[in-house]
Amino acid sequence: MLGGALAKLAAPATLGLIAASCLAGIVIGALPGLTATMGVALLTTLTLKMPASHAILVLICTYVGAIYGGSRSAILLNIPGTPANAAACLDGHALACQGLAGRAMGISTTGSVMGTLIGIFFLALFTPALGEVALKFGAYEFFWPSLFGVVISGNLTGNDPLKGWIAGFLGLFIAGIGTDPIHAYERFSFDNRDLAGGFALIPVLVGAFGFAEVLSALAEKTARPAIASFDSFLPRLGDVLKYWKTIVRSGLIGTFVGIIPGVGEDVASWSSYAAARRASKTPEEFGKGSVDGLMAAETGDNACVPGAIIPVLALAIPGSAPAAMLMAAMIIHGVQPGPLIMVENAQFVYDVVGMMLMATLGILVFGLVMVRPLIKILQVPREVIMPIVFVLCLVGAYSIAQRVFDIWVMLGFGVLGYLLRRHNYPMAPFVLGIVLGDLLDKNLRRGLVLSDGDLTPFFTRPISAALFAVCVLTVLLNIGALRRGLGRLFAGA
Amino acid sequence: MDRLEKMNINPYTVPGLVPGLLGAGILLLGLMLLVRSLRAPARGAFDARPPEARGRLALTLALCLVYGAGLVGRGLPFCAATFLFVFAAIALLQWPERRAGGQTARGLAFAAVCAAGTAAGVTLVFQELFLVRLP
Repeated sequence: MLGGALAKLAAPATLGLIAASCLAGIVIGALPGLTATMGVALLTTLTLKMPASHAILVLICTYVGAIYGGSRSAILLNIPGTPANAAACLDGHALACQGLAGRAMGISTTGSVMGTLIGIFFLALFTPALGEVALKFGAYEFFWPSLFGVVISGNLTGNDPLKGWIAGFLGLFIAGIGTDPIHAYERFSFDNRDLAGGFALIPVLVGAFGFAEVLSALAEKTARPAIASFDSFLPRLGDVLKYWKTIVRSGLIGTFVGIIPGVGEDVASWSSYAAARRASKTPEEFGKGSVDGLMAAETGDNACVPGAIIPVLALAIPGSAPAAMLMAAMIIHGVQPGPLIMVENAQFVYDVVGMMLMATLGILVFGLVMVRPLIKILQVPREVIMPIVFVLCLVGAYSIAQRVFDIWVMLGFGVLGYLLRRHNYPMAPFVLGIVLGDLLDKNLRRGLVLSDGDLTPFFTRPISAALFAVCVLTVLLNIGALRRGLGRLFAGA
Repeated sequence: MDRLEKMNINPYTVPGLVPGLLGAGILLLGLMLLVRSLRAPARGAFDARPPEARGRLALTLALCLVYGAGLVGRGLPFCAATFLFVFAAIALLQWPERRAGGQTARGLAFAAVCAAGTAAGVTLVFQELFLVRLP
């Protein structure tokens, strides 16, 4: 099946699409202010009329390219191109300041390629297995991952779990606006015909991640970046051999962080960085130009990309915000992710594996070819780029259903997203709540009907009990006194 | 449409169940936030923006709202609306540094070229090449 998928991708026109979309992804990721989510959202609009296989291919290549491309501005400008590349700023820019920007870019290319390959291995291995397990899920089991996703996302993203959970619950609530999925009863529509249809996901995501970012980026006045000359940026095979433990560790961490709903590439990157620092014999070098640190950060964030796609395909639950966008695009193109995908469309899973392999090849090639042209692009002022990005956001919001209402949704959620960010409410749990709200709503009510109002099955069925325990543990560990007590207990032991 | 109680729906499927529970959850979390903020100093200082940043934010917001809610979908061709927005945005956002450098005419010309390129490019690429309908 994988061979068939790769054979389909070898056609010249398809290779051209792969090249163009990897390039677009790298440019989008490299430009500070443009995120992978925004890139995937904008390209979803562009690919509406394409066949599903080509559209998903373009979006996957853009996603992989964007996460990789963000390391360029992190290294050269000390500004992460995407939030996932923030950890790369620490050692990447330090290396650039030592005149080793090329070396840093070579390391990030090596780490990104190896991380994506490790993630792809687990994507091919785990998706069918997770799909098999998910076929045993009933209403009770589907309720808990929805709530768990919001709880864990709120806990791990941002600085304040309480605000993260509020953002997540707000997202779940907003998902309920419109027509109730069981009785088709209008909720919170105020007799407005447009509101009765609810908020479409793409305008909300484009607003929350696109327009909000435009507002943030243009509010700050930034000087034109100056980029010094640099050394050779070719990746070295010796780095793979020398840092293989870091690569494997970060690849595993990145992939498994990606599987956790709503957490995303930035947590994967920081977790990999922290683990590498703990395991290092020279932790004092971290933050001052450590090759190990940069390798860990870049391997982890790119390994998260395939990891985040695993729950999308197997459970229809996104592992990150760009994965949520990708999932929405799959549904628009008639591919229904979820437990039945291995039964109804198993070839699609292997097609995605093949697409990711080709995207990895794309970032390796363009990582070498695009360095100097990218430097020119990075020097374009934000006052020129951001208005153009806003135009694309508007087109993106409108084009899905050709409704002017979706433009107003994009504007409204952009302002809301900006205000939430200014007050330290993270966006990832908010968006995840909107994505998972329908799933949580339907399955809670179905479960109650099946058990005739008895809540016991939600806590006693094996998978439900496990997920319930993890949710409770996540919440309890944020209680300071309890965390300190446990810390003292384990230190004593 | 009849009220749902007249349709004898299962009471565990009432449409307000989940919004009600979520509302209660948000209320509880909000109260916890309130208690915490009364007991301890603010976590993560809210940095007040300098006046210049507030001015740029207000300008950006106004331009985007006028374009998105005022120009697009109101009869003006998309190409024309986009040209006006991009021209105004680039010209106004770069105005202070252009004026300080004595390059106002050049700045306006640059903004016009970028605006024309964006309007034409987006229309051609989306509408003609990818067959996506524009507002």
